[in-house]
Amino acid sequence: MNNNNPYVPIPMRLVKNFTETEDKLIHTFTLEFVNKEDEEKFKYLPGQFAEVMVYGKGEAPFGIASAPNEPGILKFSVAKVGVVSTALHLLEEGSIVGVRGPLGNWYPLEDLKGKDIVIIGGGFAFTTLRSTIQYLLDPARRGDYGELTVIYGARNPGLLLYKDEIKEWEKRDDINMITTIDRPVEGWEGRTGFVPAVTKEVAPSAENSACIICGPPVMIKFTQPVLEELGFTPEQIIMSLEMRMKCGLGMCGRCNIGSKFVCKDGPVFTLAELKKLPNEY
Amino acid sequence: MIINKREIAGLLENLAKEYRVYAPVEKDGNVLLEVIEEGAEAALGAATKKPAKEILFPQSEELFSYQLSDEGLRMEDKIDKTKTVAFGIRPCDAKSMILLDNVFHNDQYEDVYYTTRRKNTIIVSLGCSEPESTCFCTSVGGGPFNTDGSDVLLIDLGEKYLAEAVTDQGKEFLSKLNLPEAGEEEKAEAEGIKKQAQATSEVDITGLKEKLDGMFEHPYWDRLHEKCLGCAACTYLCPTCHCFDIADEAKDKNGCRVRNWDSCMFPLFTLHGSGHNPRPSGKERWRQRLMHKFKYFVERYNATACVGCGRCIKNCPVNLDIRQVLAEIKAQDTGSEVS
Amino acid sequence: MQNITNVIKDTAKKLLEEKKVDLVVGFAKGSLPLRSTPYFARTAEEAERLVWDEYCENNLANYLRNREEKVAVVAKGCDVRSIVALMKENQIDREKLYIIGVPCRGMIDRQKAGELVGGKEILEAEVKGEEVVLRGKGFEEKVKKEELLYDTCARCAYGNPAIYDELVGEEVPAREANFKEIEEFEALGAEERAEFLAKEMSKCIRCYACRNACPMCYCETCFVDSSTPQWISKRAYSVKDNLIFQGVRVFHQLGRCADCGACERACPMGIKLSLLTRKGVKDVKEMFDYEAGLNPNDKPVLNDFNTDDPQPFLMKE
Ligand code: SF4
Ligand code: SF4
Ligand code: SF4
Ligand code: SF4
Ligand code: FES
Repeated sequence: MNNNNPYVPIPMRLVKNFTETEDKLIHTFTLEFVNKEDEEKFKYLPGQFAEVMVYGKGEAPFGIASAPNEPGILKFSVAKVGVVSTALHLLEEGSIVGVRGPLGNWYPLEDLKGKDIVIIGGGFAFTTLRSTIQYLLDPARRGDYGELTVIYGARNPGLLLYKDEIKEWEKRDDINMITTIDRPVEGWEGRTGFVPAVTKEVAPSAENSACIICGPPVMIKFTQPVLEELGFTPEQIIMSLEMRMKCGLGMCGRCNIGSKFVCKDGPVFTLAELKKLPNEY
Repeated sequence: MIINKREIAGLLENLAKEYRVYAPVEKDGNVLLEVIEEGAEAALGAATKKPAKEILFPQSEELFSYQLSDEGLRMEDKIDKTKTVAFGIRPCDAKSMILLDNVFHNDQYEDVYYTTRRKNTIIVSLGCSEPESTCFCTSVGGGPFNTDGSDVLLIDLGEKYLAEAVTDQGKEFLSKLNLPEAGEEEKAEAEGIKKQAQATSEVDITGLKEKLDGMFEHPYWDRLHEKCLGCAACTYLCPTCHCFDIADEAKDKNGCRVRNWDSCMFPLFTLHGSGHNPRPSGKERWRQRLMHKFKYFVERYNATACVGCGRCIKNCPVNLDIRQVLAEIKAQDTGSEVS
Repeated sequence: MQNITNVIKDTAKKLLEEKKVDLVVGFAKGSLPLRSTPYFARTAEEAERLVWDEYCENNLANYLRNREEKVAVVAKGCDVRSIVALMKENQIDREKLYIIGVPCRGMIDRQKAGELVGGKEILEAEVKGEEVVLRGKGFEEKVKKEELLYDTCARCAYGNPAIYDELVGEEVPAREANFKEIEEFEALGAEERAEFLAKEMSKCIRCYACRNACPMCYCETCFVDSSTPQWISKRAYSVKDNLIFQGVRVFHQLGRCADCGACERACPMGIKLSLLTRKGVKDVKEMFDYEAGLNPNDKPVLNDFNTDDPQPFLMKE
C-alpha cells in the first residue's frame, strides 16, 4: 500500500451510532481511530469534510462535526438519503468504516481572532458549525475571540441536532445560544420563527465581527439580506457550499464553480468570493 | 538517429521484451492504441480513435480492493508500475499529457495511479507530415511536430524515420537502441518537413479567454446546445478531458473501488442527492465544457485544455463542431470588446 | 435535391412568417464533407440555411418530445415512423407538430466512403445524379451512390413518410423490407454469434451516443445510470456488461424501434448495433405482424393483445 495515496481510506471503528433526530433520519456517528499513526496524520480544522466509506457500499462526503479539541475521535451527523448513508445508519457499533480526509478548506477562524463571531445555522447543516462552536469554546482559545452568538433553527424541536449540548451551551455565559423552531409547539420554551426573522430580532452587530452561515438554500437566501441590513459586508459573511463530489481532490471535475473546485478550494467561501464566481451552484 | 521502416517491426518486437509497448493498431475497424507483442501489427502514422490519455488514465481502473472480515481488514492498491513505451502517438496526444499532469498532480494532491504510470512511460511520438483537415493544433499552441510531452519525436522521411531525442529520458532510451546516427542530409530533410507542415485548420483563440470572462450569462449559450445529444463522444475521445466517477463494486464487504471516465455532458455528473442540479440542461453543460477548456483551465493552469486533435469534431454524432463554436464566440458582442 | 431544399426553405419561411409554428427543425450544411447537421430555425432568415441532401442522417424525431412551442419538422420516412411511435406514447402532440415529409432514398455512410477510398481523408464530395465524386489529396473517385448508403438505408422499406402535413419531393418506389443480414446472422452457430457480438461489444466506450441519438430512448433515468440499485457495472471494458446494456436497450425497443439506424450512426466506435435492433424489428414483425410507427391508429404491439395473436414464442419448437 502506498501511504501517500489520497484515494485510500484509513480504518476507523464506529463506537457510537446515535439517533439524533426524532424522525430518525439523522444519526450521529462517533468514530475512533484504529491506528495511532492515522490519528497523528489526521489534522483538521472546523469546516473541513471527509469521505466516509462503508465497506461494500462506497463512500460519500460529510462535513466533520467533531472538533480538533476532541482528540481520538471523529463525528459525523448524516442524513439518510443515499446508498452509503443508509448503510451507515444500519451499521452496528464496533464496525469498521473507512475515512478519507480531511478534505477541503476550513472556516478562517485564525483570521477572525479578536472579532465577535456570529454563527447561523438551519436544519441538519449544523455539523461543521458544531465543530466550530466546540473549537471556539475551548478554554485555551475562547479568550482570543469576542462575543459568540449562535442562531440555530429547525422545523420543530425534535429535529434539532445536538440537543443535549445545546442545553449546556444555553447555560453558559461565554456563548449566546439561540434556538428557534418554525412554528410554536407545546412544551417549547425557546423562540419561534424562521431563522431570517430571528436574526433580525437578535440583530447581532456587524462591527468587528464575522458571520458563518450554513443551512438550506432558502434559509441562506432570506438571511443574506438581513445580514446586509445589519451592516455585514460580503467579506464578513462566510458560507459553506454543498456540491456533488467524488474525489475531493480537485481532479474528477464535477464540483467546480467556474475555475474553483468546491472540494479543494472550498467548501468554505466568503460571500465576496462567491460573488466573483459564476452563479452555478 | 535513423530507424529504417523495414526494421520497425523488429525494433518494436525487441522493445516488447523489455517494455509494455503501446502502438496504434488497426482493430475491427478502428485504429486503437494497443499493447503489441508483434511489431508488424503496428499501424504507425494512423490517428487513433481513442486518445492516448487512455494509457495513463484508463477508462476504467481498479484503484484498490478490500476485504473486511472477522480477521480484519485487507486492502491492496493497484498501482501499475510497468515500464511502458507509447510508440507512434501523435504530438497532440503527447502534448495532452502535459496538460493532464496539472490535473493529476495539483498543488495539494498527487494521483499516484496516474503519476506512477507517467513516470514509467516513454513517449515516442510521430510527427504529422500530413495533418488531417480537422486538425487545428497550430492554433492552440501545438503543431504537427511539436515536442511538448514527447521524449522522442519521429519524423517520417519516406523509407525511414529520423528519431530526435527531446528529453534526457528520450536520449537514454534512444542510445540503448543502437541506431545509426542521422547524416546532415537527413537532418536537413527533416527540418524541411517540419517547416512545411502546418495544421490545415485554423481557429483564432487570441483574446478568447478574456472574451469568455464576460460571457457566462450571454444568450449565446441558450441555443448552442440545441442539437447536442448530451453523449460523451466528445469528452471521452478528447485527450485532455479528465473527468471521472468513483464507484464501489462489491459483494458483502469485499470489493474494489473503481474509477471510470465520466463526462460533464451527462446530467448525472452534477446531480445532487437532493435532486438539485447546478447544470440542469444542455445549455449549462455545453457552457461548462467550453468554459472549462478555454477559460477555467487557463485560469487554473495557465494553459488551454484543447490540443486541436479534432476528435470531437470527427466523432460528434450531430456535427457540433468546436471550431465553429469558437469562431462564433469570437464574433459575439459582449459589450466589453476585446480584439 | 436543390429543388427539395428550396421548397423546404420556402415552406419553413412561410410557416414561420405566418406564425403557424415557432420553430422549424431541419438540417443545415455541415462542417465536414458528407455531413449535414441538425438545425433549428426560428426566423425566416434562419430558415434560409435549411438544406436537404444525402447527408441528413440524424433522426430529428429526437428533438420533438415534449415541446411547448409549435414545431415544424423536416422528416424523412424513418423520422416520421419515430414520430408516430412517440405520438402513441404521448411524447409528441400531433396538434402542435407540422410535418414537412420528405421521401427518402437513403443517406450516405461516411465510413463506407472512407473505406472505398482506402482510408484516405475525403476533403470534398459531390453528388451528381446517381454518382458521388469523392475527392481528397491526390485522388478523385467516382462511386455509385447506391454503394455508399448506410446498411439500414439500403434495407429500408419505408422511405416515404407515413403521415405528413405537406410532402416535398416525389414518393420513392415501394420496396420489400429486407432482413438478409439478420437471417445470415441467425444461420450462424451459437458460438460464432457470441464471438461476433463479443467483438463488437468490446469496442464500446459507454458514451451513450446510441441511446441519446435514439428518439425512443427517453427514460428519465436509464437503467445503466441508476445507482440504487446499480444494475450493471459502469466499467467500459466489460464486454458482458456492454452486451447487457445493448440487450436491454433493444428489448426495451421491441415494437417501438422504427428501424432508423440512428443509434448505429451515432456510435463513434462503429459498432454494428443494427444487428441487434433489426433482430428485434424482424422478430416483432414475424411474431406479431407488427411494424412500429407505420399506423398512427394502432396500438403499440406490446401494449396490446388479441386472442388470435400468433404466439410462436409460447410454443415449443
Ligand atoms: S459529441 Fe456532440 S452530441 Fe455528443 S455531447 Fe458532444 S457535442 Fe453533444
Ligand atoms: S476539445 Fe476536441 S479538438 Fe480539442 S483536444 Fe479535445 S477532442 Fe481534440
Ligand atoms: S470539458 Fe467536461 S468532461 Fe472535459 S475535462 Fe472539462 S469538465 Fe471534464
Ligand atoms: S454509441 Fe457505441 S460506443 Fe457509445 S455507448 Fe453506444 S454502443 Fe457504446
Ligand atoms: S469532487 Fe472531484 S474535483 Fe471536486
